[in-house]
Amino acid sequence: MADRATVAPQLGSQPALEGAADMDPVEYTLRKRLPRKLPRRKNDVYVNMKTDFRAQLGRCQKMLESGGFREICIHGLGLAINRAINIALQLQAAGFGALQLAANTSTVELVDDLEPELEEGESATRTRNNSAIHIRVFLVLPQGEKAEAVNPCN
Amino acid sequence: MFKIFDFNFGKEPGGIELRPAMSGINRKEKKYAKKMRNQPSNVIFPSSDPGAGKSGIESIESQSDSDCRNQQNGSHGAYCHQSQGSDRKHLENVPRFLNAKDFAQYRAAEINAMLKAVTHKSNSQFLQSLPPHFRRRAMSKNVKRLPRRLREIANKEMEKIAHLKKEQSKSKSRKARRRHGNLLLEFNRRQRKNIWLETHIWHAKRYHMVKKWGYCLANKPTGKSYRACYRAMTQQCLLQDLSFYCCLELNGTQDNLLKVLAPLSSREAGTTFASVDCLSGKRQGSLVLYKAEQYPEKPLGPITFLWRPRAVSEIHAENRQLWIWAHPALKMDLLTELHLACQCSDDPIPEAAQIDCRTLTQRGTGLKRKLEDKVGEEVIAKKKIIGNSTRAESKPESWVSLTTGIVIIDLTMEILRYRLIGPLSHSAMLEVLQPATVMENCEVTGEVMGARGLPFWWSQYCKKPEDLALHNRQGNFLQLLSGLASPAEISAGSVLGLTVRDPRLNIPENRTRALPDASQLKDLEKVKELSLKGLPAECAQSQIWDQNVRNIVTETKISEQELNQMKSKLLVPGSPLNLGPQESKIPILLVQQPGKMSGKEHIGWGSGWDILFPKGWGMAFWISLIYRGVRVGGLQEGVKHSQYQGIPRFPDDFPDCPAGIRHIEETEKELIDKYKRYPPAKRPNYIHYGTMTPFRCPWQQLVEEWEGKSKAHGLSGKEPELKPEVQISTKNLVGVHERETCMQSPEEDKLSDPEEQMEEDSVVQPKIPNPKDILAESGHVSILRNRRLLKQLSAWCRPTSSRGQQTKQCSQSVQMTTDAVDSSISSYPRFLVWVRLLPLKKGCPIANATICIPSEEDLQLQASDPKNYAPQEPKHRDPFKHQIKILKGRKKRALPEDQKSSSGGQDAKSSANCPKNLTLGLWPDQPQDVISHCSRLTIGYVSQGDFSLNVGRGEALGFVSLLGLLHMLSNQPGDKRGLVLVRNPASLQYRLARINIEV
Repeated sequence: MADRATVAPQLGSQPALEGAADMDPVEYTLRKRLPRKLPRRKNDVYVNMKTDFRAQLGRCQKMLESGGFREICIHGLGLAINRAINIALQLQAAGFGALQLAANTSTVELVDDLEPELEEGESATRTRNNSAIHIRVFLVLPQGEKAEAVNPCN
Repeated sequence: MFKIFDFNFGKEPGGIELRPAMSGINRKEKKYAKKMRNQPSNVIFPSSDPGAGKSGIESIESQSDSDCRNQQNGSHGAYCHQSQGSDRKHLENVPRFLNAKDFAQYRAAEINAMLKAVTHKSNSQFLQSLPPHFRRRAMSKNVKRLPRRLREIANKEMEKIAHLKKEQSKSKSRKARRRHGNLLLEFNRRQRKNIWLETHIWHAKRYHMVKKWGYCLANKPTGKSYRACYRAMTQQCLLQDLSFYCCLELNGTQDNLLKVLAPLSSREAGTTFASVDCLSGKRQGSLVLYKAEQYPEKPLGPITFLWRPRAVSEIHAENRQLWIWAHPALKMDLLTELHLACQCSDDPIPEAAQIDCRTLTQRGTGLKRKLEDKVGEEVIAKKKIIGNSTRAESKPESWVSLTTGIVIIDLTMEILRYRLIGPLSHSAMLEVLQPATVMENCEVTGEVMGARGLPFWWSQYCKKPEDLALHNRQGNFLQLLSGLASPAEISAGSVLGLTVRDPRLNIPENRTRALPDASQLKDLEKVKELSLKGLPAECAQSQIWDQNVRNIVTETKISEQELNQMKSKLLVPGSPLNLGPQESKIPILLVQQPGKMSGKEHIGWGSGWDILFPKGWGMAFWISLIYRGVRVGGLQEGVKHSQYQGIPRFPDDFPDCPAGIRHIEETEKELIDKYKRYPPAKRPNYIHYGTMTPFRCPWQQLVEEWEGKSKAHGLSGKEPELKPEVQISTKNLVGVHERETCMQSPEEDKLSDPEEQMEEDSVVQPKIPNPKDILAESGHVSILRNRRLLKQLSAWCRPTSSRGQQTKQCSQSVQMTTDAVDSSISSYPRFLVWVRLLPLKKGCPIANATICIPSEEDLQLQASDPKNYAPQEPKHRDPFKHQIKILKGRKKRALPEDQKSSSGGQDAKSSANCPKNLTLGLWPDQPQDVISHCSRLTIGYVSQGDFSLNVGRGEALGFVSLLGLLHMLSNQPGDKRGLVLVRNPASLQYRLARINIEV
């Protein structure tokens, strides 16, 4: 757990799994693993549902204003997608037109452990997919210079 | 015969008089004792304290010369009256008449005694016979500085002193004592009582050591590193030496082993020894053992176990090996229980494995064998002890059962266990553990014996192509593991066997942190597959299971000295040393530790790997791990690790196990002693705070009182409105479980049947007399470990606000849950439930805090002011304070009498005067009525609580009574369900907290 922000945002967001019907709750216990952690740059912000919204927004603002970053990447997974979009739009609205957004979506593969409750069962794993969003927020140069079109958030 | 007017009994010819300011009894006593120390026996001092005057004289008289006293008593009637003093009582003691001759005689005797005391100071040195102004510097060293008349005496005295000193002084200088051989002897002597781990010296230089469970263990670092260790666990890597955990090996056919071990565990409490995953050797299993057929009443303690995977060649072999890893506090209980279960005889029978080992070593030159025998057995030998140093030679190490053919071997300290916690443990492991190089020319080296006359097991191992292929596969898997970002990304308890090179050969020059190497990205597809499918069963195979190999590996270890010599002879200094076939190959096992698994937050926190390897190699692996930048934790870090994971820790949190009960008693005694060492004004008066037992949790009284309460009133209140899914699943659970039990073996059936039966019947008549009720009468507390019921409880504890509509819709099903509640009440009357408490706002519960049920007003007020509301307990009256005061006063007055009767019996005094042993601030006797002692009903206690760095606020773990919990839940509204009050033992402030049962 490198950072509070990287705590899986999808936890608790989905009470039931897709296809949970085929799993017998008596035979197996479902344990969700955290999503895979990828190497993190300094300007990556992982949004979660536990931290206060204003705190997360403030952090992004600080990074853009005094943190010296020309661009930041806001990541949201599952339930936190809404919040990530919200943060990005708030940033843009407060930026007096100096900020631009570029959003990318992706699918994250998540792993669930099926732990046997009975002797006969063998433990198994299952994968399911969840959607994620990666929003690049960057400062537009006053000269009209365009920032690179390539979105690094992938 | 003449009158004496000016005679006062107190005034002696010497004019010595005692007029102390009597402020305290003790001080008075002390002063008196000091005065009397050098006096002859017939010199007495009267007490001039008017209050204690009479008794004082009497008591002093008792110590005076008996003849003298008799005489005075005899002449008592001759004393005349005096009108000098106004105190009549005082005057009564003054004799009226005095025999002048006798009087003068006794005074003369006293004067003589006094002169004797002044001239011959019994415990003084010759120097003190000189008056101070004659004394000169260094007179004690140099006799010639003394006046000549004293020299003779001084010479004698000095000789005497010199003689004494010579006897006392140590025979060896520090330099001699620190010489290697002597130091070893000293170390060996010191580890006869308590076992030292192989890393002991390293730890002793850096950690506070404690003696616990027969070991010397590191408690916490001497430096400040509490938070740094937490950070290491979360973000980097923390290393712990867990070699003190005991390993017991069970050998036998699989069927026999399973049959023998089945009654020790129950399927209700989770998977057992027979679980498919564990049986294949792919996973490490963990469970709580019970005394045979005693589930759920008498647990022994938690263990982890590991089956040896079947080799490819002998896939149908019947004989299996099973390792049971247990805490040392539990070992003896476990061993006796296993002996009973396996019907082992107590006398040892030399079993096959040991004979094999002997024959193997005999092939050597013979010198080695002698040394081998000395290891761990002959303490006086100048040989480093490897393994268990406390084991007596005669004590058996293995036991054979004649009926079942099962062999139990005690492998204490034979296999070392290091624990790595944290996400960087992969990279540290990858750097330290390098797969052994495969022998190319097997034919040649196969014949070569090692330098110490032992065969290289590795060259023989390398001969088999399938083993070689396995070795390569295992190496590949280790590489792949480093592609995982955290140890939690692989299934829980995975096992990987390996054979590695000597870890000392690739130590970096400087201590650097091992970081994951992003540049050489591993095959992502394969990493993904690994994390999905886990490690295959055959990769768990390792030669560490073989005792012969373990012994060879321990014995053929090249010593540090030899290694350094070889290093110094290298042509290019600092270049890696290549030993070729001489290099040791160490078989090891890697076992994944799953970290936090239950609950919703911080899943996978604290996950890591355990490294298991043969004894003797402890420091080699330790230092090379340290050089990879891992941080080292002691017992304290282990406590935090389990606390943040929310799991009970042995033996602290197992009040139902024999080891746990012992531990609780010890800690209570320690804490009470510590409490009593403080002055009364500087310690909390726990009676004022309404805390009856501040240093332990009265589980016994708690469950008994709740049982009595539920019997008297019944717990029927408002029924819990439950979510429909829960009820349905409960029904399902019962059904499926029934189907399950039908398939079980007959003895298992018998165990679980009555409860199942009752579960079914409960709809009709919920309170059927249960056999377990009768068992519970024996007065024992147990902890609920039935996973099905725990899951149900866990669902009940959650608030139902979000699904309020659903509960209204299916009010018909409420009836059924009443039955469920009743059934659990009747089947588990004296049970405790492990809970985790999170304060809603403020508060940091500590150990032994009380968990209470909030009253209805509390809940209402909390709803109106959710931010700040926290009720307070009114201050309690201390009924014993007055008694203690009276006692104290009486003691003061009674002191001189006591001196007469018994010289210094504090205990006798207190026992004679008062029946209770009162201490200010502590409840004196066994607590009564614990649940309703305070203004809120008590349902449980916190067993460990602290500020949790993981959650960022206070967090507590503890037990609540099952009946109390159900009572509380059934009376709470849906959206407030699971709210409790927590109050620390030395505080009146209640804090609201939410209860979580994590399964």
